[in-house]
Order: sequence, then C-alpha cells, then structure tokens
Amino acid sequence: MPVYYLEIIVVVLGLVMLMADAFVKLEDKRNIAWFAVLVLSVVFLLLFKVSWPESTEGSPFWKFYDAEKGSRGFSLFFKGIAVLTTIIVLIMSAEFRGVLLKYTAKPEDGAHPQSGLSEFFTLPVFACAGLMWMASANNLASIFVSLEAVTITFYILVAYMRRNVGSLEAGVKYLILGALSTGFLVYGFTWLFGVTGTMDLAGIKEQLALDSVNVTAALFAFALIIVALGFKVGAAPFQNWIPDVYQGAPTPITAFLSVASKAAGFIVLLRISGCFFGSGDLSEKVGAVFVVLAILTLLFGNLAALPQTNFKRLLAYSSIAHAGFLLMALASPITLVADGKEPPLLDTSIGVIAFYLGAYLLMTLLAFLVMTAVRNQQEDDSLEGYAGLAKRSPFLAFSLLVSMASLAGVPLTAGFFGKFFVFKLAIQNGACGWLIAAGVIGAAAGFYYYFKVIASMFWNAPAEGNDGPIPVSMPAKVVMVLLIIAIFAVGIVPNLILGLIK
Amino acid sequence: MHDVNTLAWIILLLPLLVAASILFGLKKMPGLSALLSTGSVLITLVCSILLFSATGKAVPVTWISIFEFKVNIGLLVGGDKDPLAKGMMFIVTFIGTLVHIFSLGYMKDDDGKARYFAGLSIFMFSMTGIVLADNLVMMFIFWELVGVSSYILIGHWYNKDSAADAAKKAFLTNRIGDFGFMIGILLVWVLTKQIEFAKFTPEIVANAAKSPLFDIAIIAIFCGAIGKSAQVPLHVWLPDAMEGPTPVSALIHAATMVAAGVFMLARVSALIGASELAATVILWTGAITALVAALMALQQNDIKRILAYSTLSQLGYMVMAQGIAGQGADAGMFHLYTHAFFKALLFLGAGAIIFGCHHEQNIWKMGGLRKKMPFTFWTFAIGTAALIAVPGTSGFFSKEGILHAAHAAGHDFPWVIGLIVAFLTPFYMTRLFIVTFLGKSRTENADHAKEVPQIMFVPLVILAVLALFSAYKPIAKFLQAKGYAHAPEIDPTFGWSLFGLIAGVGLAIWIYKGREKERINIPLFANKFYIDEIYNGLIAIFQDAIAGLLDFIDRFVIDPVVARFPAMTAFTAGSFFRLFQVGNLQGYTFLFGAGVVALIWFLLF
Amino acid sequence: MSQDYTPVLIQIVIASGFAVATLIASVMLGKRAMRNTVKDSAYECGMNPTGEGQARFSVKFYLVAMLFVLFDIEVVFLYPWAVVFRENVANAPVYFWGMLGFVFVLFIAYLYALKKGALEWKS
Repeated sequence: MPVYYLEIIVVVLGLVMLMADAFVKLEDKRNIAWFAVLVLSVVFLLLFKVSWPESTEGSPFWKFYDAEKGSRGFSLFFKGIAVLTTIIVLIMSAEFRGVLLKYTAKPEDGAHPQSGLSEFFTLPVFACAGLMWMASANNLASIFVSLEAVTITFYILVAYMRRNVGSLEAGVKYLILGALSTGFLVYGFTWLFGVTGTMDLAGIKEQLALDSVNVTAALFAFALIIVALGFKVGAAPFQNWIPDVYQGAPTPITAFLSVASKAAGFIVLLRISGCFFGSGDLSEKVGAVFVVLAILTLLFGNLAALPQTNFKRLLAYSSIAHAGFLLMALASPITLVADGKEPPLLDTSIGVIAFYLGAYLLMTLLAFLVMTAVRNQQEDDSLEGYAGLAKRSPFLAFSLLVSMASLAGVPLTAGFFGKFFVFKLAIQNGACGWLIAAGVIGAAAGFYYYFKVIASMFWNAPAEGNDGPIPVSMPAKVVMVLLIIAIFAVGIVPNLILGLIK
Repeated sequence: MHDVNTLAWIILLLPLLVAASILFGLKKMPGLSALLSTGSVLITLVCSILLFSATGKAVPVTWISIFEFKVNIGLLVGGDKDPLAKGMMFIVTFIGTLVHIFSLGYMKDDDGKARYFAGLSIFMFSMTGIVLADNLVMMFIFWELVGVSSYILIGHWYNKDSAADAAKKAFLTNRIGDFGFMIGILLVWVLTKQIEFAKFTPEIVANAAKSPLFDIAIIAIFCGAIGKSAQVPLHVWLPDAMEGPTPVSALIHAATMVAAGVFMLARVSALIGASELAATVILWTGAITALVAALMALQQNDIKRILAYSTLSQLGYMVMAQGIAGQGADAGMFHLYTHAFFKALLFLGAGAIIFGCHHEQNIWKMGGLRKKMPFTFWTFAIGTAALIAVPGTSGFFSKEGILHAAHAAGHDFPWVIGLIVAFLTPFYMTRLFIVTFLGKSRTENADHAKEVPQIMFVPLVILAVLALFSAYKPIAKFLQAKGYAHAPEIDPTFGWSLFGLIAGVGLAIWIYKGREKERINIPLFANKFYIDEIYNGLIAIFQDAIAGLLDFIDRFVIDPVVARFPAMTAFTAGSFFRLFQVGNLQGYTFLFGAGVVALIWFLLF
Repeated sequence: MSQDYTPVLIQIVIASGFAVATLIASVMLGKRAMRNTVKDSAYECGMNPTGEGQARFSVKFYLVAMLFVLFDIEVVFLYPWAVVFRENVANAPVYFWGMLGFVFVLFIAYLYALKKGALEWKS
C-alpha cells in the first residue's frame, strides 16, 4: 500500500465522522470517538506495512512527498507519533466530555444533550492528517499547507469551551499570535524562494550550498522562519503564549498541543535547518542561533516553572523546558561522516530528537490523562488540588509519579535516556560550555519542580472539599497502564524506540 | 531440543514465567501455584542435565549499546573449556528441585504459600541469570535480583518483627557489598574496555594490570562476593537470615545464593590471577572468615544458627581457595558442589527436626531424637560426616583439595588456619549431633516429636547419597568438576586434618556426652565477637557524629551558600521570567516583535 | 521585464478604481440629506439614544459570510486547474480525479453545514 494512503484514510475518517454526526441518530456520541480510535489503531498498524515508490516520476503525489531513503524511517516514526497521540487524545476527550459539555451545550433548547461533542472528536482527526502529511512534507508549499491545517484546527479546539472565559481568552491569544507567526513564516518562505528560486527543499539545499548564494538574504529568510517555528515549538523568546493557552485550553487539547504540535514543529525545523546546515557560512550562524535559543529556552522554561503553583501551568513551563532540551539537540551541529557512511542514529540530531519526542509523548500524555481524570472531579487545577492524591486514588498517584519521574529524568524511565542522549550528543559534538551549563541547570531545576508535585501528592493531606475518591474509566485506565509499561520498557531497553525509527 | 541455546533460554525464562503467572493470576490458588513452581523447577533440572551433552552455542541478544559500551543478554554456557556454568546450573536446579519438593510438605498449611512459591521461582530465575550471565553487567543485575528475592523470602513471615528486621539487614548489608561490586565493574570496564567474561584474555588483562587502579578494581569486585557470600566483615546478615523458612535457608543461604560470590570469583579468576594484592586479600578474608565463623559456631544453641555459622566457615574455605591461584580455584568450586549437597541435606534435616519438634529450634530443648526420628537421624548423620570430612565422604576430598592447594602454593599461615578449622568443625558438629539426637528428651516438645511426612524423605535420601558419593568419579565427572576423588596422599595435610577430626570428635564426645546443659561458657564466642554490637555502636556513633557534622555544614555552609543562594537566585530568576507573562495580548505581541528584532539583529549583524 | 507587470497594474487600477468610483457615484447620485442637530435628535417625546451606536449583526450573518468565503475559494483553485486541464489530463487522469476529490470534500462540508442548520436564517 503506498504510504500516502494513510493520510487519505485519516481524512476520509474525519469526513465519515462528520457525516455520522450529522445523519446518524446516536444516543451516545462517544461512539464516534471509539470508532475513530479503532480506525486510527488500524492506521497505526498499517504504518508498518506501507510501501514506498521506486521513483518519484509519474505520480504528482510523490512530488510533495519526501521519499528519500534516509528519511523514510523518520517520516513513519513522526506519523506514528501523530496517530498515537490522536488516539490517546480521543480517549482523553471522551473522558473529558462532562467538563466540556458543561461549557458548550445549551441546556435550554431541545438539542441533543451531547451536541457539540462530536466535532471535538472530529477536529483532532483532521489535525492528525495534517501532522502526518507534515512528517513527509518536502516542499515549502506542502509544509505551509499542512502546518496551517493543523494550526487552524487548533484555533477552534483551544477556544472550544465557549462558555468558559479562560478557554475563550486562550483561543483569542492563540489565534492572534498564531496568525502573527504565520505571517512571518510566509514572509520567510517568500524570501527563501527569492534567494533560491525553488520551493523544493532538496533544491533549496543545493542552492544554498553554492558559493554564489546571497548570505544576508538567506539568513534573513531563516530568521523569519525561525520566528514562526520557534513560536510553534515554544522556544524562548516566542514562548509567551504557551502558559496562558495551555492553561485555558481544554485539557485534552493542551495535551495534543504539547505533544503533536511540538513534534510537528520540530520536524519542520529539522528539515528546514537541514538545508542551511549544508553550507559552511550559513551553518555557523544557524548553529549559533540554535545555541542561543536553546540556552534561553532552557533557562526560561525551567526557572520560571519553579515558583509555579498551578499544575497545568507547571506542565506548560515543563513543555517549554523540554523544547529547550530538544533545541539543545538541534544546536549540536550534525557530525559529518566521511566515506558517505551513515552515522549511528544517536550521533545525529534527528535521531536524538525523534527518541526524545517518543519518550516525551509517553510521559506527557500520561500526566495529562491523570489531569483529565482529576479535572472531572474538581475545578481546581492548582497544586493544592493534587495534595493527597495518593490517598484519593493510589492508581492515579502512581501514574503521575511515574510520569513526573520520567519528565525529571530519573534513571530506568524513558525520560532519562532522552536527556542522556541529548547531553551525550552535545558533549560529543563539542557544544559550547554555556549550553551544557544551561542544560545542567535546567535538569536540576526540573528535579525540584517535578518532585514538588510528587511530594504534594504523597505527603500532604487532601485539601478541604477536594478529598473524594476519583473514578477512572476503563479505556483511560488501560491506556495509562500501557503508557507506564512503555515508560519503563523504554527506560530499560532504549533500543525499543530506536528500532522503530529504523 | 538438544541445543544449548534453547535449553539455556528455557532454564532462564521458565521460572520467570511461573513467578509472573503466580503473582498476577494464581495468588488465590496456592495449591496450583506450588505445583506449577515445583513443576517448572523440575523441567529446568531436566534441561540442565540435558545441557551437559547439548551442542551448539547460546546466541546473545543485544540489550544496550551506548558509546562502545555494549551489553548483551548473553548466556555463557561454554564449551568443554568452561564447565563452570553447566556444573553450577545443575547444582542450582537440583537443590532447587529438592527444596521445592521438601517445601510442598513444609509449607503445606502456610497462609502465604502462593507468595512463597512465587518467591522461590523469582529466586530460581535470578540465580540462573547469575550462572548463565556472560558479562559483568548482566551478572550484576541478576545479582541484585537475587538480593531482592532473598529479601522477600527471609521476610516471608513479615508479621514477625525479627524476620522483617533480618530481611532488611540482609538487604542493606548486601547493598554495601554490591556498591563495591558496581564500582569494580565500572573500573574493570574503564581499564579493559570489556565486560564479557570470555573477552578477558591474558593480553587484555596483562595490559590492564599495568594500571595501579587494577588492584582496586578487583578488590572492589571482591566486595560483591564479601556481601553475597557473607565474608567477614559483612557476614552479619547470614545468621539472622535464618529467620526465613528452613527450606529457604537450605536453598538460598546454604547451597546456592551464598555460593554465588564464590562462583563470581571463579568467573573472573583470570582477573584475580593478574592481581597479587587482590589475591592475597581474598585469601586472607576467606581464611579469617573460616576461623571466626567456626569459633562463633562453638557456642550457639539454635540449630539453624549453628548450621549458618558452619556455612560461613565453609564459604570461607571456598573464598580462600579462590585466592590461591591455579589449582585452588578448581578445588574451591569443587567444594562448592559437595558443600551444596551436604549442607542442603543438613538444613533440610534441621527443617525436619524443627518441623517434628513443633518449631523448637534450641538444641538444648531437644535430645533423644534418635528413636523418635530414626530416618532423619541417619540422613543427618551422613550430612554431618560429610561436613566434618570423614575420609571417604565427599566433603573430605574437596576440603583436602583446598588445604592441599594452600600448602602447595606456600601459603603456610592460611594453611594452618584451615587445619584449625578442620579441628573446630568436627567439634561443634559433634556437639550439635550429640545434644540433639542422643541422650534423653529434655522437653515435652522433643518427647512428642514425630517423624516427618514421607514427601520430605525423598530429598533427604537423595541428598544423603550425594553427600557420601558426589566426590567419586561418575558423579564428579558428570558435574565436570576438576579434582575429584583420588587416593589420599599421605602428607602433612592429610595427617593433620585426620588428627583434627579425631581430636574434635573425641573432645566433643568427652565434654557433651550425656550432659543436660552447656558445660563451657565463652561469652566472646557466644556473642559472636560482639560484632553486631560493635556495628550498632559504630553506626550509632557515626550517625550521631555525621549527623552533627552534617547539621553544622547544612546550617552554616550549605544552607546559606549552596542551597539558599542558588535557590534564591533560581526563584528570583523564575519570578523575573514570570514578569514576561504579562497576560495581555498587546504585551505578548510587543515581546514577540522585540524577539523578532533581536533575532534578526543577531543573525545579520 | 516591466511589461510583464502590466496586467498587475491594470488589476490594481481596476480594483482601486472600483472602490473610488462607487464612493463617488453614491455621493453624486444620492440625494444630499439635510443634517442638523434638530433633525438628528429624537422625535418629540422619544427617548435619547444611549449605548453603542453600532447595530448588532446576527451571528448568522457571519456564519453565512464565512461559508461564502470558503466556497468561493473553491473557484480560485478551479480556475488554474481549468487552464492546465487540457494539457495534463490526457497524460495523467490523476489531475481529474484529484480535483473531483477536492470538490467531493467540499460537498461533504456543504452537506454538514446544511444538516447542522448553518444555512437556515430563522431558527
């Protein structure tokens, strides 16, 4: 089966879901979500079965599809991340329906009691298709279209709880700042097109490597693009929106944003910066920009998280902090290997970033699953609301413990190897001392604020009013158990993820 | 089936499978769990017997490869050159099988029967892991797992405070040794760039031995053995570990786990051979343990504790043997095999006695059991004979091998210590034997003692046969052990140890025959040289001193300088950064724009 | 070179000319109204107006406007496609089916909007 069928299947799935909502009478709209989970699971399995074309000639589809032998594994890996995240987000959304309906449905008119719910399931599926396409986009046009497909979907989803002021505010902020960054992206693309005369990434790389290239114009284009992509992944100084939007958005969407949107941003960043790393003059400057961004992001994300008292905001800062580590991997210049031999996976930025994102997906989604379950019982997202969680629900407390430990990078969890490989890459490639110092400070600060959550859960007594037991639905429980197993499995045998990339 | 790879993996994974299925599903069905566990160990026994004639090679699975640090999950079941794993595997599964069968009777009505058998299965898994490991890292992991399973099993009756404390003590004491082991592994890797046993070739080792760190590395590795094989000064956990169920004592704390330290030393013998200093340390540690433990055994009254100290003493022999280069290592492994048989026999016999006497463990409250438990009496007698090295029994040949090697290598002083132990062992064992079995019953419990159920006989008989004959050619050759029975050479070693045997037995008979209570009283031995008290005192003193010091440092150095300052800086920085989160859109767009300008400026100018 | 941009120039002139022309036309053609304070004040005993001067539009208006833009954009894609259609469709039918797929997706969206009542003015 040709690989682009996957995206087609996902888009058709989205359309079917829309039609099902419009034309089929459903008692419980969650069935739409379960259907989507089923189909997406099949898509996930199909990822292992796809075929690639012998040549890109003949079919216009392939022109926009990155079919280079070296990057096929990564394309599939990032598609896998997108599909997996969407599946878990859908399960989370089904769990979240109570809160969602409270802020969307109008109780007074005679509409379906769950009206508005099915779109909340459908939109992530469309975003998923965009993410999947982005994973193999090899052309400025296709990058832009897929990126916008995802972003516009997110505008709607962030503001979805329209009767909740926080959600609306987050939606407006995200929309305006997002539009601003998109403007920069398009402007950057036009400059890049102007400099190189092509939209094709391979062609751009070729052109940039020539001596005759206009370095200033190329760097200007790069600066504009990096503004937009830095915004997407949450790199300082373009990270402003993250805490507010993460806090206001419905929790499943926050999870989706922090995993899928970040992963998508990084794969585009990798592809475009890869073009610039081809030439000597440019790569020096570009590398320096990444170093500065990484240092700023690491310091900002980790240090600003220290005084946080709201758990959801804490996770937002933690997401910035992790973007910092990912940028650190990106900032370590790619080792050039002689003889045209492929370098080992973990000696390349893309290998390390892929691994880190895979691990990040597991632990972040686990944390958000717990948060969704807790949010069903209480309005309170503050750390105090999580006090004594161990007494209220030992299972959730344990899940959160695993997730926090992994986010902090405790050995034997997936997060440890993520950080380990980043540092290893940075040291191996002789990254500058300030970058490594910022990384160490970040990691140390991380331990502090993640353990603050753990301490609160296990040592403090539950707050007044927030002390009832917390039920967890079966699908969510199953997913959590699987995630915990995966975190430990990857933490013990990191080759599991590496094997998937190959 | 007759392929090394298949067999080895079955042996390794089957117990794990059983343990998992008991823990995750069969907890409510103790009977089935027990049968499953016993069945699995029986299968592994068959596999390990087949292993002797199996062909082929085990295929390793790559586990981690980071830098040049590559760890395999490999199974080293070497060819003819390396019979170590096969022999050890047989011992482990064989004793394991017998102990499982014995436990079927012993733990029949225990509440935690399923948990107990799951624990045994985990232990079997970890122990086979140690035996089969082809590299130090994998061995270390299973080494830790063995520690965990031993913790679980010692603390099986966790409602009893003493059992819970003993489990904790065993675990913590072992951790000290394991810490050294870990450092040793790291050092060895740094020096040789190898962690696989097979890769320690003479050239690599000779190269590494040039470094002054090499001695330290080997001694650090030996620390692991000190912990696990309970050598002085980390021996304190083993006697306490007797709080666990007696079959566990037989399996783990007599025959197999404590021998893991010796086995590990035999595995790295190529390294030990290159470090004279480390070899000397090992030799002396073993000798001192043998002597000290034998002295402590003289004055114990608890039947299991006496056996525990005798185990310590015999382990001292084996470790000492590992310190003697060449011939000694083989003799040590051989003693490990024979000791496994007769010590398991003695422990199971002790278990039978305790079972028969309604959980009485004090030997002075027994007596006259010869008539009540004739069967146990005879098998126990055979075990004792092997332990005190009556010529012709298996224990005689293996012990003689060690002493002979020590003498031949010119280690005169350890040799003399060995001979003294050879006198002490018959003395305390005869004491135990006379007080328990002969004379009259001294308490009601002993008077009403009954012979144990028949299922417990089977292991006793089999072990008794092996205790007698395992040094002779067919069995020893089957085990592929080096240095099996030979006609005793009439040399000083033989003469002196025979003299020690006769003197020890004679003296014990003279002192204890027909006595009702202890005649000699040496508080120093009875209180185990006060080592536990010293440790407790030391720990208390050190704790107080260190706590005081730390408190001082914490309060006046760390707090203001190290903790407060960075914490304050970090918090201030964090709060400063938070100022950027102004919350309104205009502010964000302004900052965004400022970022854009800064970035373009940075890139272009 | 500069001749290439002539159509663009013409486009600009037409676009801005249209806006300017409509404004001028409305001023010229419309009857000039008399305005003074008396005329603008409330009639006789009516209330003085308070609050915002802007009239509130129904949300339906935005909905319809947005849908119109969306479906209008469809045409933007159809024009260039129609231009190259003849040359390419003979070589690769995928050009034909591709556009049909695009229209189909829009059709689904239309059905959805219809069924959800987005086009019903009264509710």
